[in-house]
Amino acid sequence: MSSGESPRLEMRGIVKTFGPVTALDAVDLVVGRNEVHGLLGGNGAGKTTLMNVLYGLYRPNAGEILLDGAPVTIGSPKDAIAAGVGMVHQTFLQVDNYTVTENIVLGTDLPGRLRLDLTEARERIRELSERFGLTVDPDAVVEDLPVGVRQRVEILKALYRGAKLLILDEPTTNLTPQEVDDLFGSMRAMVDDGMSVVLITHKIRETLSVCDRMTVMRDGRRVETIERADTDAERLAEKMVGSAADPGAAVDAALGAVDADKVAVTLSAVGTTTAVAVRDLVVANDQGHELVRGFDLELREGEIVGIAGVAGNGQVELAEALAGVRPLLGGTVEIAGRSMGGLPTAAWLEHGVAYVPEDRHRDGILPTASITENLVLGSQHSPQVRRRGLIDWGAAKQRAVEAIAEFSVRANGPGTLVGDLSGGNIQRVILARAFARQPRMLILHNPTRGLDIGSTRFVYQQVRKATASGCAVLLISEDLDEVIALSDRVIALYQGSRAGEWAHGAVDAYEVGRSMTGLGEARV
Amino acid sequence: MSDTLTAPPSGPPVATERPPGRVAEALWLAVPYVVSVVLAFVVGGLVILALGRDPFAAFESVLTTSFNTRFGTVETLHKWVPITLCAYAFAIPLATGKFNIGAEGQLLVGATGGVALGIVWSDLPMVVLLPCVLLAGVLAGAVWAGIAAFLMTRFKVNEILSTVVLNFVSFQLIDYVASHVWPDRGAGHPATTPVGEGARLPGIGEAPPMHAGVIVTLVLVVAVAVFMRRTPTGFEMRAVGANLRAAQVHGIRTSRLAGAGLLVGGAVGGLAGAVEVAGVHGKMLEGMQSNFLILGIIVGLMARGSMLALPFVAFGIAVLEVGAGAMQRTAQVPVEMVLIIEALILLFLLLSDVARAKLRRH
Repeated sequence: MSSGESPRLEMRGIVKTFGPVTALDAVDLVVGRNEVHGLLGGNGAGKTTLMNVLYGLYRPNAGEILLDGAPVTIGSPKDAIAAGVGMVHQTFLQVDNYTVTENIVLGTDLPGRLRLDLTEARERIRELSERFGLTVDPDAVVEDLPVGVRQRVEILKALYRGAKLLILDEPTTNLTPQEVDDLFGSMRAMVDDGMSVVLITHKIRETLSVCDRMTVMRDGRRVETIERADTDAERLAEKMVGSAADPGAAVDAALGAVDADKVAVTLSAVGTTTAVAVRDLVVANDQGHELVRGFDLELREGEIVGIAGVAGNGQVELAEALAGVRPLLGGTVEIAGRSMGGLPTAAWLEHGVAYVPEDRHRDGILPTASITENLVLGSQHSPQVRRRGLIDWGAAKQRAVEAIAEFSVRANGPGTLVGDLSGGNIQRVILARAFARQPRMLILHNPTRGLDIGSTRFVYQQVRKATASGCAVLLISEDLDEVIALSDRVIALYQGSRAGEWAHGAVDAYEVGRSMTGLGEARV
Repeated sequence: MSDTLTAPPSGPPVATERPPGRVAEALWLAVPYVVSVVLAFVVGGLVILALGRDPFAAFESVLTTSFNTRFGTVETLHKWVPITLCAYAFAIPLATGKFNIGAEGQLLVGATGGVALGIVWSDLPMVVLLPCVLLAGVLAGAVWAGIAAFLMTRFKVNEILSTVVLNFVSFQLIDYVASHVWPDRGAGHPATTPVGEGARLPGIGEAPPMHAGVIVTLVLVVAVAVFMRRTPTGFEMRAVGANLRAAQVHGIRTSRLAGAGLLVGGAVGGLAGAVEVAGVHGKMLEGMQSNFLILGIIVGLMARGSMLALPFVAFGIAVLEVGAGAMQRTAQVPVEMVLIIEALILLFLLLSDVARAKLRRH
């Protein structure tokens, strides 16, 4: 940061409360010119909230914001854009059947009254995308583009509106390693061009590889702002985790991405008996398109097989088909020797299939029901739950109390509504339910997305525990680091078919990334 | 790997828990009800004032008629029965996320079923005939709602449309039965001949007696609460209502269950019809559905899915309904004022949801 000049952004004493909850507690943030600033912290640390305040989505209760040394009042995203602040959210707001150019100019002052002339806009977009290495065809229709490119469109949107400060909220979640490298390259080009970038992330490795300075947040407070040169992964992880009950283990987990060996599983649990055999599986999505085509898989008892892939390549359909939720259009699924095709979902559950869905809120819980009721869901007909035909809520409550203790769910009691829990605690409830049935096969879809370090660590522990008792695990995740660290075998999924397979320890992330995007050579 | 397993799972302190105790929580839940009722009466009072009448006299008779005389009390309980049953007919399918707007039709067809047996088998003794009449009402209501359930599960026909349309069909049906099958020519308006003595619900207490349908309804209140709370099917229905997708993922056959919910709702609606025949009218007559459909929906919505709160809310509405007539006599305020107040209560209650959501966000 050059001295004498005022910094690009200064946020002073920002306070934001939601009802009784203090989400931001007098947070300060200084982002210099020509700087990539990492905003690092676990889930619920307040990173995104702080940036939403800056972008005008939330009004702070107290505090002030200065841009280039001048105090500004930002009441809406419109004000933010006018002040030169751009933000790229995790979910994109794009009109699917518009072209890249149309999406980018949408909402700006359009040239011409009667005729829409986009030639000039197209030229500017082309120029911007070349200058910052954001390769994209201005005339492509957005719905045909992969996630990585759609993200570039979103970045270009901000640049087109003249952003001097660009906020990226967890931008690498759905990207392949190559795309991450490209994105970081573009970020570098932006700051070299005089811009500033704020990178919101929970991944330590990312901040270390691209940021000039980073601010660590925890529980709505700023813990520390550090120069890249003055820190390392271990120290950052400690700052992020703070005084957790078991800092050593949690730091380990936080470092998972940095040092895969530290969380790598012992592979001795893999048995020789085939638990699950999938042959020539064909599954369609809700619109009837076959998104899984000719998929084969064999899972042994105690084995973890990871499925790596870019979202939208048939993961949801594969997971739901193997959970018995989605009908098989073709092929067979055999679990412990029994052919499962055509059986109702309840039969799959009874046969020992446990499913931890990607979208916990939509598919995993009854938000307006208690923890006790959520734990009973799916086994309401089983004899353990019933007494004389009726559900024995007393016993169910007792088991819920035990599960809350065993799975460290932070809740007031078994009567707490699951919708009131945080994401990590919801996932603990879902896991408690899955494991209570002692599953033969566990399907995990993005099991740690959005979770803090402690909960992530906990999920990994539980998975290992399950494999130790012979459960076969299918780990479908868009977090490539997670797949590589946990799996005995990694399978790359591309357009519903396998695009490569690697054994644990012989995985090259870039090779997997190429296969995930259809560029690799199949190694089956 | 075993040494890492023994490490206690760690989690960061959770900042987002809301600590208030159970009593505070319950009070917090009661606040919108109290506020809504008070506001509705304030607004209703202003309207009465604008009409040039005395709001306090009006409200006094509305609120006290049910408790001042035995007649008022019995009248209130007799109103409470069909309102409660029609509210269940609406609320039980709503638990699975389906809207049954056909309680009226189910009540009328249930009444038709009951009256048919009550007339055809009029010589049978009460121990045989009365259960048959009630059962016929239940079955007829279930069949009527079953049409909508079948169309919904088989052909994805929207249940709101089909149940509403079936109401109109039921009007024609009872008109036909009351004017052609068992018409009472001397009644002056379409009505059937009376059912046999054995088809009448016995009265309880001195004049005016309360009919035993009140007891039947009380039993049903307990049964519904147990069904929804304790049986696997009731639990599944609540699960479907809470989150359809999650219920599916966990092995619940949601469309079958939604159909079953509609069927059960229709059965309760049909029971309401049979009880009205056997307890109040002793016959079937045009217009006997009164405004129970709309009151049932209001009660069902006010109870917000709680099968336990529902009979209490229904009682409150029954008090207002019975008080309405007295209000017209003593304060010269038209009875419709009470329906306006009921609608206002519901409106304020729904507004309180919006207000609460806003409060939470800020």
